[in-house]
Amino acid sequence: MTRHTDDGETEEANGPDEKREGVDGPDEKREDADGSTTGAAPSSPAPGVPEAGRDEQPSIFVPDDGEVPEGTPSERPATDGGVESAAGGSDSADLDPDAYDPVDVFPGGDLDLREGADSCYKCTSCDTSCPVAEVDDEFPGPKFQGPEQWRLKRKDDHDIDESITSCSNCMRCDDACPSSVPLSQMHNEARGQFVESQMEKLSREYIRNRILSNYRFFASIASKVPRLANAATKIPGAMKVGEKLLGIAGDREFPDFATQTFREWWKARGGAQVENPDKRVAYFHGCYSNYNTPEVGKAMVRVYEHFGYEVMVPPQKCSGTPMFANGMLKDARRHAETNVENLVEAIGEGADVIASCTSCSLSLRQEYPELFDIHGIEDVSEHTYEALEYLRINEDLEAELAGTELADEQSFAYHAPCHARNQGLDRQAVETFRDVDGVELEDVGDSCSGISGTYGWKEEKYEKSMEIGAEMFEHMEDAEGDVGMTECPTCAMQMEHGTGYEVEHPLQLLEDAVGA
Amino acid sequence: MDQQVDVVVVGGGSTGCGVVRDLARRGLDAVLVEKGNLTHGTTGRMHGLLHSGGRYAVSDRKSARECIEENMVLRDIAGHCVEETGGLFVKRPEDSEEYFQEKLEGCRACDIPVEVIDGEEARRREPYLARDVEKAIALPDGAVDPFRLCVANAADAREHGARIETHAPVTDVLVEDGAVVGVEVEHETGPGKRVHREPGTTEEIRARHVVNATGAWAGNVGEMAGVDVEVRPSKGVMTVMNTRQVDTVINRCRPKGDADIIVPHETACILGTTDEEVDDPEDYPEEDWEVDLMIETLSELVPALKDARTLRSFWGVRPLYEPPGTGTEDPTDITRDYFLLDHGERDDLPGMTTIVGGKLTTYRMMAESISDHVCEALDHEATCDTAEAPLPGSENPARMDELMNEFGLRSPVARRSGQRLGSRADDVLDEWDPNPVVCECEGVTRAEIQDAIGEAGSDLNAVRLRTRASMGNCQGGFCSHRIAAELAREYPEPVVRDAEDELYQERWKGQRHALWGRQLSQAMLNHLLHATTMNRDGDPATLDAEVDFGAFDAGSEAGSAGSDAAGDSDAGTAATDGGCAADDAAIDGGRAADDAAIDGDREADDAAADGGA
Ligand SMILES: Cc1cc2nc3c(=O)[nH]c(=O)nc-3n(C[C@H](O)[C@H](O)[C@H](O)COP(=O)(O)OP(=O)(O)OC[C@H]3O[C@@H](n4cnc5c(N)ncnc54)[C@H](O)[C@@H]3O)c2cc1C
Ligand code: SF4
Ligand code: SF4
Repeated sequence: MTRHTDDGETEEANGPDEKREGVDGPDEKREDADGSTTGAAPSSPAPGVPEAGRDEQPSIFVPDDGEVPEGTPSERPATDGGVESAAGGSDSADLDPDAYDPVDVFPGGDLDLREGADSCYKCTSCDTSCPVAEVDDEFPGPKFQGPEQWRLKRKDDHDIDESITSCSNCMRCDDACPSSVPLSQMHNEARGQFVESQMEKLSREYIRNRILSNYRFFASIASKVPRLANAATKIPGAMKVGEKLLGIAGDREFPDFATQTFREWWKARGGAQVENPDKRVAYFHGCYSNYNTPEVGKAMVRVYEHFGYEVMVPPQKCSGTPMFANGMLKDARRHAETNVENLVEAIGEGADVIASCTSCSLSLRQEYPELFDIHGIEDVSEHTYEALEYLRINEDLEAELAGTELADEQSFAYHAPCHARNQGLDRQAVETFRDVDGVELEDVGDSCSGISGTYGWKEEKYEKSMEIGAEMFEHMEDAEGDVGMTECPTCAMQMEHGTGYEVEHPLQLLEDAVGA
Repeated sequence: MDQQVDVVVVGGGSTGCGVVRDLARRGLDAVLVEKGNLTHGTTGRMHGLLHSGGRYAVSDRKSARECIEENMVLRDIAGHCVEETGGLFVKRPEDSEEYFQEKLEGCRACDIPVEVIDGEEARRREPYLARDVEKAIALPDGAVDPFRLCVANAADAREHGARIETHAPVTDVLVEDGAVVGVEVEHETGPGKRVHREPGTTEEIRARHVVNATGAWAGNVGEMAGVDVEVRPSKGVMTVMNTRQVDTVINRCRPKGDADIIVPHETACILGTTDEEVDDPEDYPEEDWEVDLMIETLSELVPALKDARTLRSFWGVRPLYEPPGTGTEDPTDITRDYFLLDHGERDDLPGMTTIVGGKLTTYRMMAESISDHVCEALDHEATCDTAEAPLPGSENPARMDELMNEFGLRSPVARRSGQRLGSRADDVLDEWDPNPVVCECEGVTRAEIQDAIGEAGSDLNAVRLRTRASMGNCQGGFCSHRIAAELAREYPEPVVRDAEDELYQERWKGQRHALWGRQLSQAMLNHLLHATTMNRDGDPATLDAEVDFGAFDAGSEAGSAGSDAAGDSDAGTAATDGGCAADDAAIDGGRAADDAAIDGDREADDAAADGGA
């Protein structure tokens, strides 16, 4: 019924033209080579979306058509550091220091994040909470990668230390910093600059990273022939070949592809079963729930419909999480343009954006506005929630769950993903199910699972990834339950890989509990 | 024993260092004596602007011409001391168009290469410039590191046979038969390298000629010889920001005025300045309004400054001179030109010449002219080659990329080391393996610290000036003890403790003028860390008395040993606390981006001003 489930559009963003944005060559020319700096902003803003404002500014990040050649004056107006001061000029009340963004000080439109170093006290909390620094002696840690490296930067400095590629983008440092230093923004931007200007574009590592970060592209092909793809990844030695050729960790099992994707299911079921203009949510399912674990997406839909929500499933692409972690900022931006355009439209129709993957929600909320300037991106950020979080805010879950009982007693070993921690959601699952009879949810501690999306997939990082995860594996095994639980699909892979447990998403349990 | 040389140069600022280098290269036997460490005076507390001459293009074209000439020379001979930032004179709507045109004409008349750009282009180059900046003149201003420059001059002089004596104040000028024949110096106790003489001794250095290059102090040395040198010291404040908001020198294009320039310097931006005559170059008030004025006024040019973190502030005194009887009222009207006072001609006291005034940018030219004068007086035939001969460290451009690989340094660390060390980078970095980073804020490694200790001895403030260690966000909170630990490889513990205290307190001194917002938090964190982990708010080990550790084991009945100990702590080591008021002002450093050092004279005053403890 709502136009967001409209097939035409779905196809447009998710269908046959996939190839264009995939990995069709290291230096392919983009179809949108006009460098459409205002991104995909609709010519007239969607309803409910404030017009103009700072988001109207042209993109400050790399336009898709590549570098601004050095020395060539850019055609876009420079952004500035403040509002106009009154004619007298000396009245300082007229200066608004909040009115500036990190601007394009560095050549090629790269962000200037040196200012972020102003907030750092060198307390080193970030370093002590970095899971990679703990196991990797070569990695200097977030304090160096972030505030120190940025502070030492000058306008004509181009090089970024290579160690930035060892950061897994778990973002625990963000959470640890008592002073709101924009660490992950600094890492993401530096990594993007490194990959853009220093990484050999034909190197095995670059291609491998590009493949890993464009998971959605491969998943979309694989899910067209899921059985074949599943079988292929299980052919003895297939993964060894991947390791040899591409540096993808051979000990990992590739996730199974669902025979019916979430979107196919959604279409087959005829879209939303509940219509309610007052309670609308736009579901950002992300790649994994679509291609690999549609049962999570289905649980989301059923639970939300149980609570009377009208669910929309707008066309969407990858949230960008794996791309940020690999410095593929141009790819991420391209996907972000589609996502923002469609989500802004949904917001205009009264919806909030819901993600079932905590990395997707974090990306839309935090990384999007930090890294890109696309019309409406701030609105998307402000309207995005994680699925369970949203229900806890807007519904009386406690009352709903009080006295419910699960048919079969079940104990879970719950791991809070780092990205959930960053959104303050690390205790939500435990708290939600505390009063449900027959459910035992045990938090296995605050360590990192170690996979961090694509990090653990890299052959050279595999061992470190398992070393980081060791604490979690141990605690899972000590926990009563022998089913794992987490909100993050890649943490789930790691949990499964390290313990052999089956892993569920809290939404699936909620579906059972409320009998949706 | 007492020495007979050709020339004694008094004062280790840019002028004195330039003079001793020039004389030594001309084959004269020269000695430089300086009461503190090099750059202890004004040179260690200046703005770091390598003038293009633009600032003087309207008011003083002679100076402007000299500046552009020397600006080009320094880029050549002192590449590792100069950052070629470029500069802008920006015009806001309320600034006079007429003056803008005058400035432009003035620059052209002085052969300063200029380019007029509109506001948009100015903001493209410096995106944090205020939106209403209308237009700007772009010209070749730069940033210069005064300390590196002086050290390089002194090192070259030493290579050519000169003797460099720091921590050696001149206490008397020797006059015999109506002529100056030398000076008496005292070798002070305190940290620092003393290769020639024992601390606490005095020495007479007899010389055929004495050059008084003591800047704002020139009157004092003149007095010792019985002549009048009318220096009118004028103070100026500089405020150091934690990061760079601009990478170009930004000047306000208006006649004269306070707070009209921002200089990017190393990792920081320095705002300046004021111009106020003071009575005593050693003792003048450092006032908060001056700091506030910098931030308020300059945020009209760069609004981001308003909200940015300030690290510290420091003050310097200009050695302004005007010939007797000129009687200028406003110090900003006194000429920035330099003067060579031939006391033989002027006061009938041959054997001594005073050089005063001028700018750091023109130090070499000043040195050349006074060296010409000295050579003539001594009948010594030699030509000056200081405009062509590169300074040590600038012989060949640093090889940044190779450094990184060769010494396994992280790229920003290697880049900064290379910039600081210039062509010496190879030799210095090669010495140490492993070579960990000691000062994280500024990216200074052990090798660089050890190199500086090798040159400067146990004076950690001199090490700081050579390396920039402890000059970043934490202002020594996280690194002063690590730097001191490097010293402990070679020096006994009390020396190390003293040196650490001096460094830490010097850092504290400048921060006192930035205690709000984020630097206040930093200072608090530093203090608590040092108090709780190093017991620096009452460390028994800094007291001379024996600590009765047995009393701790025996429990409270055994009486309190600690309180007795505090009573007689007139120890050799400074009983300090890195931040508690009574002691913290012991040091008159202050120069944040680059500073000079210790000045016992002000100790009592400052401590009192700080409200005691
Ligand atoms: C606020 C400010 C900003 C400035 N900014 C700039 C700028 O951006 N660019 C520029 O080119 N110039 C600038 N200048 C000017 C420049 O700093 C000075 O002209 C220059 O540093 C003077 O050097 P000097 O060697 O003559 O004096 P000093 O550096 O003062 O040297 C004199 C030395 O003599 C020593 N001394 C004194 N008495 C004795 C004694 N009895 N025995 C032994 N030694 C003694 C002192 O300790 C001192 O080290 C600035 C000046 C000020 C005050
Ligand atoms: S994002 Fe994670 S891996 Fe990267 S620096 Fe921060 S804590 Fe370390
Ligand atoms: S936790 Fe934050 S304030 Fe502390 S060192 Fe890291 S970035 Fe700096």
